[in-house]
Amino acid sequence: MADLLLSYIALAMILFSIGFLGIISRKNIFIVYMSIELMLNAVNLIFVALGRYNESMEPQVMAMIIIAIAAAEAAVFLSLIVVLYRNKKSLNSDIFNVLKQKDTANG
Amino acid sequence: MIDFIYVLPLFFVGLGAISLMIVSTFKSVTIRKGSITTLVFLSMAFISNLYNLNTGDEVYSHYPFIDIFNKMIIVDTYASYFSTILILGAILTILIGIHYFEKHKEFTVEFFSLFLFSVFGMMLLVHANELISAFVALEIASISLYVMIGFEKVISKRIEASYRYLVLGSLAGVFFLLGTSFVYGATGTTTIGTIGDMSLNTFATNMNLLIIGGTMILITFLFKIAAFPFQNWAIDVYSGAPLPVTAYMAATFKAAIFGFVLRLFIVDFDLIRDFWDDALVYVIILTLAYGSFLAIIQKSLKRMLVASSIVHTGYLLIAFTSISALGESGASSIIFYLVAYFLSAVGAFGLIAYISSDDHLRITYDDFRGFAKIRPYMAAMLSIFMLSLAGIPSTIGFIGKFYIFTGAIEAGNTILAVVGIIATFISVYYYFKLIAIMYFYRSAEMTNVPPLKGVAPVVIAFIALAIIWGGVGNTLVAYFPGVDLLIDMAKLSYESLFVG
Repeated sequence: MADLLLSYIALAMILFSIGFLGIISRKNIFIVYMSIELMLNAVNLIFVALGRYNESMEPQVMAMIIIAIAAAEAAVFLSLIVVLYRNKKSLNSDIFNVLKQKDTANG
Repeated sequence: MIDFIYVLPLFFVGLGAISLMIVSTFKSVTIRKGSITTLVFLSMAFISNLYNLNTGDEVYSHYPFIDIFNKMIIVDTYASYFSTILILGAILTILIGIHYFEKHKEFTVEFFSLFLFSVFGMMLLVHANELISAFVALEIASISLYVMIGFEKVISKRIEASYRYLVLGSLAGVFFLLGTSFVYGATGTTTIGTIGDMSLNTFATNMNLLIIGGTMILITFLFKIAAFPFQNWAIDVYSGAPLPVTAYMAATFKAAIFGFVLRLFIVDFDLIRDFWDDALVYVIILTLAYGSFLAIIQKSLKRMLVASSIVHTGYLLIAFTSISALGESGASSIIFYLVAYFLSAVGAFGLIAYISSDDHLRITYDDFRGFAKIRPYMAAMLSIFMLSLAGIPSTIGFIGKFYIFTGAIEAGNTILAVVGIIATFISVYYYFKLIAIMYFYRSAEMTNVPPLKGVAPVVIAFIALAIIWGGVGNTLVAYFPGVDLLIDMAKLSYESLFVG
C-alpha cells in the first residue's frame, strides 16, 4: 500500500513540476493558464491518494473544494484572457510590457 | 443565538456583498448610492465587531456553530482585533475613494460588491482555524482583488497588472495547497491546534515532511507580503492598480495575511519555527536592502510608496523572527506596527489618490514643486504621513518601530535591529525628499488640484490627527484612549491565541 502511495505522489510531483515549468517558460497565456490547472490537479491527486491510504473521507472533500475554487479562478482567468486579447490582438505575454518601462512614472 | 452574535460581522459583510451584487443590475443605483450602502453594511459590521472585541480585560476564544463548521472558524480576541483593522481600512478606503470612483467612468456598482467580497475573504482569513478554509478565504479575497485591479478595462496598464497578479497569485496559492497536503500527510489533520499536538506525537518519523509543508506555506506567505525573493510583482501590480485599490491592498491585505500566519506559526509550528530562523535573517536583510534601493530610484511618488512598503515588510519580518525568544513583545509589536503602518499608508495613498483624481496627471516628485504654496493644508497632511512612515518621534510610526527594534534586541537579534535602523536612516532620504520639494522649491505649475472640500479631505485630516495623537496623546492627556490602549489590546489578543 505504501509503495502504491509513493508512486501516486511521485506522479503528482512530476505533474506539478511540469506545470511549474510551463508557467515560467511558456509565453502563450492559455498555456500558462493550463499549467496552473495542472498544478492544482496534481495537488488534488495527492489529496485523493492520501485519503485512500488513510481510509478517510476528509481529503476527498478537500479535493472537491479545490476543484470548486479552480473553477472560480478559471472564470476570472478566461474572462481576463478575452479582455487581453481584445486589447492587444495577441496571446503572447511578451507584448504585455506597459508596466515594464521603469520610469514612465504615470500614476 | 450567542453563536450568531459572534459571526455577525462576517454575516453583515457577506450579506452586503450579495445584496449589492443583486441591486447593481438596476440603472437607478448610482455609484454614490452604492458606496453609501457599502458604508452602511461596513458600519454595521464594525459595530457588531466592536461588541465582540469589547470584553474588558478578559480574553475569549470560541468556535461558533461547532456542529456545522467543526472548529474551522474561530472567534477570539485576536481575530476580532484584526477584523477591526480590516473593516476600518475598508471604511476609510471607501470614504477617501468616493471622489475617485465618481470621476472615473469605468467604475460601476459591481465594484463595491467585489470590494465587500474581498473584505469578507480577509475577515474569514483571520477567523480561519483550518488550512483549507484559510485557502478558501485567501482565494475569495484574491479573486475579488484580481477583478478590482483590472476593473478599468480600457486602460491596458490595469489589465496587465491584473494578469500578472492573477498568474503569480494563483502560483502562490498552489504552493499553499501543496504545503497543506504535506502537512496533512505528516499529521493526518489540517485543523490548527491539532497539527501541533499531532506533530508532538509523530515527532521522529514525519518531521521532515512537516517541515517541507511548512516551508511551502511560508513561501506563499512571503510571496503575499512581498518579501525579498518574491517582491518583483508588488511594484508592477500596485502601481498598475487604481490608487484607492492600491491603498486598500497595501494597508489591509498585509494585515490579513499576517493575522493568519501568526496564528499558524505561534500555535502550531512552535516546535519547528527555529528551523526557518537562519533563512529568514537573510530574507530580511535582502528585503530591507533591495526595498530601499527600489524606493530610492523611483521618480513616481506612487511607485516610491509601494517600494517603501517592501521595506516595511522587512520591519514586520524582523518582529516575526523575534517572536520565539520572549513571546509576548514580538507578536504584539507586529500587531501594533500593522496598525501604525495601516494608518500612514491609507493616509498617504488616499491623499495622492485625491490629488490625482481629476485627471490622469503624472504624479512624480517634480510635480509637487511648490505644492505647499498652493495647498498648504494638504502639504502639511502629506508631511505628517511621510514623517510617520519614516518613523520620526511624535508620530505613531515611531512608536511602532520602537517596539519592533526593542523586541528584536531583547530577543538577541541585534544584527537585525541594526540593519533595520540603517534602513530607517535611508528611508529618511526618500520620504523627506517629498517634504523638501513641497516646501523649498517654487514652481506653481500645478493645475487641476481638487480643493479642500467634500468628505475625503476631512477623513484624511482625521487620519493625520490620529497619527499625531498616537505619537503624543498619552503623554498629554491621561486616561484618554490613546496608543496605550492599542498596545494593551494587541497584548490581549496575543494571549487569546492560547485560550482555546
